[in-house]
Amino acid sequence: MDSALIPEGVKRCSFGKFILWIIIVGAVLLWGVVAMLLCWFKGLNQTNMNDAYGFAMWIWADLAVIALGGGAFFTGLLRYVIGKDELKNIINYAVLIGFICYSSALLILAIDIGQPLRGWFIFWHANVHSMLTEVAFCLSCYFAVLTIEYIPLILENRQIDKVPFFHNLSHNMHGIMVIFAATGAFLSFFHQGSLGGTPAVLYGRPFAFREGVLIWPWTFFLFTWSAAACGPCFTILVTWITEKITRKKLVRQNVIMLLAKIAGWMLATYTVAKIIDTWYWATVTAPASGFNFMDFYSNNPLYGPWILVLEIVVCGVIPSLILITKTGRKSSFLLISAVLLAVLGACVNRWVMVLQVMAVPVLTFESWFMYFPSWQEIATTILPVAYGIILIMISYRYLPIFPQEQELEEEKNASIFV
Amino acid sequence: MKEEHKHGKASKFGMVIDLDKCTGCGSCMVACMSENNVPFKKDETNKLDSITWLRIYKLTNGKKFPETDICYIPRPCMQCEGDHGHSPCVSVCPATATDYNHETGIVSQIYTRCFGCRYCMAACPYHARYFNWWDPVWPDGMEKYLSPNVSPRMRGVVEKCSFCFHRYQLAKNKAYAQGRRELKEDEYQTACTQACPAGAITFGDLNNSHHAVYKLVKPDNKHGGRPRNPNAFRLLERLGTNPKVYYLSSREWVRRAGDNYIKDEVKKEHH
Amino acid sequence: MKVCRRSFLSLVIGGAAGTTLSPLPWKLMDDSSIWTQMWPWTPVPEDGEVSYVNTVCSLCPGGCGLTVRKINERAIKIEGMKAYPVNDGGVCLLGLSGLQLLYGPTRVKTPLKRVGARGEGRWEKISWEDAISEVVKKLADLRAKGLSHTVGCISDSDRGTVAHLLGRFLTVYGSPNFIRTPSMQDSYEQTMHLMHGVQASAGFDVENADFILSFGSGLIDGWGSPVRMFKVNSALKGKGKLVQVEPRLSNTAAKSDKWIPIKPGTEAALALGLAHVIIKESLYNRDFVNNYSFGFNDWTDDRGRSHKGFKKLVLDEYGPDDVAEITGISDSTIIALARSFARASKPLAVCGRGQGNTPGGLSEFMAVHALNALVGNINKKGGVWAVPDPDYIRWPEVEMDINAAKGMQANRIDGAGGKTYPDSRYLLNRFPEAVNSGKEYPMKALFVVGANPVYTIPDSKAVKEAFDKIPFVVSFSSYMDETAANADLILPNHVFLERYEDVPMPAGLQKPIVGFSKPVVKPQFNTRHVGDVIIQIAKSFGGVIADAFPWDNYEACLQKTLGNKWNALNKEGFWLDSNFMAKGWKRAFSTPSGKFEFFSRAFAAKNENLFQQFRPVEPEGDEGRFPLILIPYDYMRLASGCIGDPPFAIKTVEDTVLKGDDILVEVNPKSGRGFREGDQAILSTPKGAVKVRVHLFDGIMPGLVAMPRGLGHTAYDEYLADKGINFNELIGPVEDPASGLDAAWGIRAKLTRA
Repeated sequence: MDSALIPEGVKRCSFGKFILWIIIVGAVLLWGVVAMLLCWFKGLNQTNMNDAYGFAMWIWADLAVIALGGGAFFTGLLRYVIGKDELKNIINYAVLIGFICYSSALLILAIDIGQPLRGWFIFWHANVHSMLTEVAFCLSCYFAVLTIEYIPLILENRQIDKVPFFHNLSHNMHGIMVIFAATGAFLSFFHQGSLGGTPAVLYGRPFAFREGVLIWPWTFFLFTWSAAACGPCFTILVTWITEKITRKKLVRQNVIMLLAKIAGWMLATYTVAKIIDTWYWATVTAPASGFNFMDFYSNNPLYGPWILVLEIVVCGVIPSLILITKTGRKSSFLLISAVLLAVLGACVNRWVMVLQVMAVPVLTFESWFMYFPSWQEIATTILPVAYGIILIMISYRYLPIFPQEQELEEEKNASIFV
Repeated sequence: MKEEHKHGKASKFGMVIDLDKCTGCGSCMVACMSENNVPFKKDETNKLDSITWLRIYKLTNGKKFPETDICYIPRPCMQCEGDHGHSPCVSVCPATATDYNHETGIVSQIYTRCFGCRYCMAACPYHARYFNWWDPVWPDGMEKYLSPNVSPRMRGVVEKCSFCFHRYQLAKNKAYAQGRRELKEDEYQTACTQACPAGAITFGDLNNSHHAVYKLVKPDNKHGGRPRNPNAFRLLERLGTNPKVYYLSSREWVRRAGDNYIKDEVKKEHH
Repeated sequence: MKVCRRSFLSLVIGGAAGTTLSPLPWKLMDDSSIWTQMWPWTPVPEDGEVSYVNTVCSLCPGGCGLTVRKINERAIKIEGMKAYPVNDGGVCLLGLSGLQLLYGPTRVKTPLKRVGARGEGRWEKISWEDAISEVVKKLADLRAKGLSHTVGCISDSDRGTVAHLLGRFLTVYGSPNFIRTPSMQDSYEQTMHLMHGVQASAGFDVENADFILSFGSGLIDGWGSPVRMFKVNSALKGKGKLVQVEPRLSNTAAKSDKWIPIKPGTEAALALGLAHVIIKESLYNRDFVNNYSFGFNDWTDDRGRSHKGFKKLVLDEYGPDDVAEITGISDSTIIALARSFARASKPLAVCGRGQGNTPGGLSEFMAVHALNALVGNINKKGGVWAVPDPDYIRWPEVEMDINAAKGMQANRIDGAGGKTYPDSRYLLNRFPEAVNSGKEYPMKALFVVGANPVYTIPDSKAVKEAFDKIPFVVSFSSYMDETAANADLILPNHVFLERYEDVPMPAGLQKPIVGFSKPVVKPQFNTRHVGDVIIQIAKSFGGVIADAFPWDNYEACLQKTLGNKWNALNKEGFWLDSNFMAKGWKRAFSTPSGKFEFFSRAFAAKNENLFQQFRPVEPEGDEGRFPLILIPYDYMRLASGCIGDPPFAIKTVEDTVLKGDDILVEVNPKSGRGFREGDQAILSTPKGAVKVRVHLFDGIMPGLVAMPRGLGHTAYDEYLADKGINFNELIGPVEDPASGLDAAWGIRAKLTRA
């Protein structure tokens, strides 16, 4: 039925099956949309946030998806600026994932703010001292860049490509992509960093506060670094999941290996830096405000030292070791476990830097603030996931996302015949 | 405003609350609510979504009967000076909806500009900032008592104590009309100060050595206003927020409850 | 026209680009944000001319001066009146919330007549004329049947013109049943009556005392005139001492210089133990005791019977060891306390538990007052003064017809002033029982003015039952309170901000002062001043009843009554007898002995066992079944009198007192074993069982459960109704054998898992 739209030389499932899945995922999406509308029309009383917990699940989701979307800028940087040419085979997908992550982040922000219709005040009445201002500017600019990077991909759709104007436009856009990639990397460095600065500049919150250099707290660099490390891991993970679902090899293993190796070294160095940061914070920064290290990890039902072990050892040291060793990378199981742990590590880190920050009591006569999201918060957080799946489904079906798909398919068929 | 800066010396309005006198009666809370058009809901027992610009905390010394002791700490907005006006909340607001006024030392909040990101709330260790989770609703007829001096806030924005800034403006206007530039100490007082039946709250200019607040705490203005009175303390002094709300207590455990100390650390009293 | 794909795409893309570049989206964006800044459902208060009106608060017996800020015709803020002798600018949270009462949803807006069953909440709006004629018809009918004495009136005060109009009406109509709501004022008045021989209020010169010994009085929890007491407490810092004797760490205890926890109900024993030490160590005021007191030494009465004197009694029976046993306070503490009390230059002992909303045992009041006598601080600077009522209501004597005279001769329904309790004036606590048992006579009609007995009187069930037995209940309440909700007819009074009224004698003041309420705003609804309504009712009767009310209306009555004070009151807001001095010891006492009587001769003449004055009051209930003791506690943020907490006030209540609709009771972790903070529990007493939550609090004596007063309203608005439990549901009155007043201070209780 829609075969005219499907890229040449690849096989796709039947339209009926495709639509069925769209409907199933669409139902989840709709659930999220209902929750979103509730939040917009009835206000944020629909959430379980409160005056002590003004930043909660949504901000975590924002930080997490932006970190994981970091695969786009970092792969772009490697591909276009540093010249790792093999990565051209995964860059499209990295861009698409980045586009989904960033558009989701913007959507969640639009739900999260109490006055969405005034959201643009952040640009109009910008306070240059605020980390959020920096985030907003870089984030929207980078989202524009991602859109520009995504557009040529859309234009490569078989039917659209037939229009000479679009064909040429697409071609020319590809030509200047290096500029956008460089811009994207530059913007990402700042907004990833600013997101890292968002909790760290809160000098009223000893759990979050970090010292730093000039105006940038150490987490500024740590966040950028971890996004560069975990973003590509997320790209690898999603690619692997896509391959499993489509039951096809879509990207050559050497490409994956290269990306995994680079990500591994990024993660390893990041983990070392994170350990130093944590050590300094626990022994110097926090005690200066009168806090013992264990004050942050006791007297509450959830946050114990385990979360630190999980983040740094289980999701930092272990995947690093796997990814920087050849044997580790070669084993498909270890590789996927490692990228999964790395992705989890980024999520845990963002969780800690948002939700635990709010939970720790600062006034001596207050106690821990615990929070569990309302269904509206959960639904609106799942909404982007459903939206992402749908966009990937559509893009995969109608756009030539994976340049190697056709030849890999042919090789597979050939090997069967041999 | 700039004009003024040149003429008069900048003020630094602050508050001193004598916890030995404070009875925890709640007058300050209600005076504040009624002065500032603070709304109310059917159930206000969840203190985490109950807007109280000034909240009274009840502290206990943690000892067993009959050694138990309690103390009330009224907590308005601390109007932190931070480092040269770099208060925890002001610097993080992305839309400049909250600002540090160098003429008065008061942290303002512009409700019509705030778009409700709540970053300032995350930044404030005192939980002095409140979000309007709901539309404010007054029962039919009750909106008659609303004061035109403070605009009621809409849903979705952050609000907080302003040291009754509108009173400062009204007093200033009055003084100007009479050809004066300086305000007398009693011309500008907050609603809570005025209402406190125990006379526990003192309000005035911390930069003015003739004002009672200055005499009570003897702030070391070269060091962020650190109190020199050994019985005076500020909440979370060590964070460097430099609040302009001071507390007085003759009880050691109360003063110690004002800040965090690492294990076995002895509180250093400033003299 | 055929639209090809290309032209369609161009149109869409071109259109999108064009729209984006046009001012339209930007304008829409701007407009929508402006719309959010002035949502039509967020009110914008109207500005206008600012003015200030002074008035006096009558929401509690404190009588504070208020200054109300107005914008045009709207009252927008209540503040304390500066330089007002009671509160000097300070104001409590109830007063501050006054505008919520004025403009609130709980107002009764027009006269209402019950349509459904009692308390069902179905009403018919009726005109004032119909309402008044209905009352007149009913009363005339009863009077014609010779049942005028079966009409009663419950009022929060017996002072001032409104109370006098009510009393006058009852007298000329022919009923002795004017009943004032109970408070510690009853016990103090009786103490003054028995020990001083005068009809007076107890005034406390707390401003000049340097050692205040409080037997459970919530001096900063709303006792006396609350704001004044706050000021005193602040002024005392560094200059004097406050010692609080109380089983629970109340705010007063926490702010005191020394908190002495005591087994509840044994305060009188402690007072006598202190007296023991003071007498034994000869620390008492010789001049006063030797020259101006009676009953200190052993004495013989008129019939020749000999009586143990106060000295011998306390020396024999209240040694520090014995008292330590009774009270749980160590003997060394008792001795030290007695010494520091007696050696202070201006010591003052006060009692009346919590806010003084219940009278308490007479023995306790007399024992505590005896301490004041021992140190000679009666009618002295820094002491207790006998303050006569301000004497400005001088109306001509009423002329009574036969019906009235006959009605007035009937016994009071509550037994006050009768054979058993000759010295008591009002015993509302006995009213429910009297009505329910019908022993005396059935009550046929009841007026309730400025009071909310269905809520405030102990043993709510019995009170409700009594009300159900009275066929005609008229409430004059401004608000839909519990009593109004259970009335047949509501004749709503103006609220205090809408009416003229004299507010005499704030509780506990040592100087006679009359405050002046005047209208701050015009009446907001179709309400009428209760004074006007009484005058109109009287006039409708005609004859002697009408003749007793020669005024056109209440305002005229007030103006005439106040005479030359009217102008001063209007201007200053109060009238203070600044020349007033308590009478010197030589002239102060009008007892049979002409002296201060440690033991009242008058009392002794009627009572065989004199020492029952000092018998402790046992709480109701069996210790085996109810191992704990439930005591109430008062605090400022909960109004427990006839006015319920307005929304602002209830908002200030901590979540350790009220959580959702659940009340929290305080229990020591030792007694609350098995309960965690916030756990649900069933609290039962001999009077009933209720669901509560547990608040573990180290500041309460093990073995006790404390519950705040002022919650558990069933009427009022959604901001107050159905939140928590009314303490009065769990306790019944315990009749003081000496006075008949309610002496209950607690009741046995049990806490079980919910």
